[in-house]
Amino acid sequence: MSKTFIKTIAIVALAFGFSVWQAGVSAANLTVEASKDSMQVDYNYHGSVLNLSGIMDKGTDLVLTVASDESHQKLKQKSKVGGILWMNTGDVSFEHVPNVYYLLSTKKAADILSAEELSRNDLGYGAIFERASIEATQEEGDKKTLFDEFVKYKERNKLFSVSDGGFDLSDEGSAQKYSTTIKWPFQIPPGEYMITAHAVKDGKVVDQVSTNVTVERTGVVKSLTDMAQNNGAIYGILAIVIALAAGFGVGLIFGKGGGAH
Amino acid sequence: MYLYLPVALTSINILLPIGLGLAVGLLSGLFGVGGGFLMTPLLIMMGIPPTVAAATDSNQIVAASTSGTYAHWKLGNVDFKMGIYLLIGGFTGGLLGVQVIKILRAMGNADFVIKMTYVLMLGGVGSYMFIESLQAMKKAKKPVAEDAPKKESGMQKFMASLPLQTRFEKSGVTHSALVPVVVGSFVGILAALMGVGGGFLMVPVMVYMLRMPMHVVVGTSLFQILFTCIEVTFLQSYTNHTVDFTLAILLLLGSTIGAQVGTIFGRKLKGEQLKIMLALIVLVVTVKIVLDLTLTPSILLSPAGGH
Repeated sequence: MSKTFIKTIAIVALAFGFSVWQAGVSAANLTVEASKDSMQVDYNYHGSVLNLSGIMDKGTDLVLTVASDESHQKLKQKSKVGGILWMNTGDVSFEHVPNVYYLLSTKKAADILSAEELSRNDLGYGAIFERASIEATQEEGDKKTLFDEFVKYKERNKLFSVSDGGFDLSDEGSAQKYSTTIKWPFQIPPGEYMITAHAVKDGKVVDQVSTNVTVERTGVVKSLTDMAQNNGAIYGILAIVIALAAGFGVGLIFGKGGGAH
Repeated sequence: MYLYLPVALTSINILLPIGLGLAVGLLSGLFGVGGGFLMTPLLIMMGIPPTVAAATDSNQIVAASTSGTYAHWKLGNVDFKMGIYLLIGGFTGGLLGVQVIKILRAMGNADFVIKMTYVLMLGGVGSYMFIESLQAMKKAKKPVAEDAPKKESGMQKFMASLPLQTRFEKSGVTHSALVPVVVGSFVGILAALMGVGGGFLMVPVMVYMLRMPMHVVVGTSLFQILFTCIEVTFLQSYTNHTVDFTLAILLLLGSTIGAQVGTIFGRKLKGEQLKIMLALIVLVVTVKIVLDLTLTPSILLSPAGGH
């Protein structure tokens, strides 16, 4: 056999293998796009509205997540003292948990994905719990109870949410177009957030794509925050001087108006 | 109309803090209290983080107490000499109080002691003022109850026997210089323990122990609170970065005006009426704290920081 023949066979075999691999991966159409890359926090900021849209294959379901980086979070734990009084009795530290976590899906995530699949793809509160390390200074309350309270706390502060439905779906050639809206609360602090779309078919996540959205302070809000953080002494003196001036100013105005006293 | 608060990381309807400032400023001008014991919990209820609420409140009190002190000074109601003695005591007591907290924290029961001190002091002071004022109002057939001569108690005799007796002209009383310094430091310790300015404790101390007339008490208390809150605002800005200056401005828009209106109203009320109203407010706050402590909370976790 000539060397050329062997080379040709090898190239054909490689090309065939590549095409089979390609077919496995790119069978799914999946894109995700946010209506804005960044949200500017100025004095008028009262949250925002974020539209998330893209293309996915027909016959697939979608799970969208919006998450911040994982961080260390410390909260106070309340428990009963002396059998009657509720008060902060210890600290609870949560490691490897996001500060912000939103999950939106076309159908209830637990109905389209098994527990193992949710866990493998890091989806839902259950997956966060598995990854989290929870340390409490007191022994009262098991870790699951503490985590459930943590989720309740986050949901009340609009930093965690899990919901299904609320997607607009329409045909787009051989694929389908999806669109949904997140009412972005002002409670979500400035930072970088990753939005990930997961295509789900036959109980499995078959594809995923991501994009980022940034929440950033601008203008006076940014200057004041920077000053409060980096020049605490100047910030404090400024706050005192303005408070004194305002107090005297109002005093003078009333003093003149009410001269009869 | 909403405004974003850069340090509190919260968007708030501006009418809420202005209205709250107005109400608390009114109490400040009327009773000579900073109002921290009312303002801080209300700010937390509006969604402001506890540490930011407490720190920003001190900044706001600087404005309200300046406005109030100025108004009372114009009316001749500030005993600067007494104020400075109390301030020296309060400052020393504050430093001691911080050390007491450190020891309690090391012993592991700081929160319990702090909460119990708060409830007992508020409840005790409120009840005493309420009962005493009620009795005085019933008894007083004379036009001005606060000027009625009071029987000398053992405590008064002891205070009269102390050295460094000095005349406080504005208040019309004679005390040893040690008395305001010592009671000031006692209030300072309690104030540091409870994380409040201590106006609601200082006012009864001036009325019942130092026997100062109610109107001078209010002005002098505001003068003392002003300096305490300047110190706290600076320390909170410098060490904890928790003063939200924007929120403070909204609060002081209301409170500086409220303090002036309170002063005008205060002139029209008698000492006993003022005392009984302050007693009622203190008792309502006590009941609220007791309920918070005894009812099962809906979430068993709370943000770190603040009491």
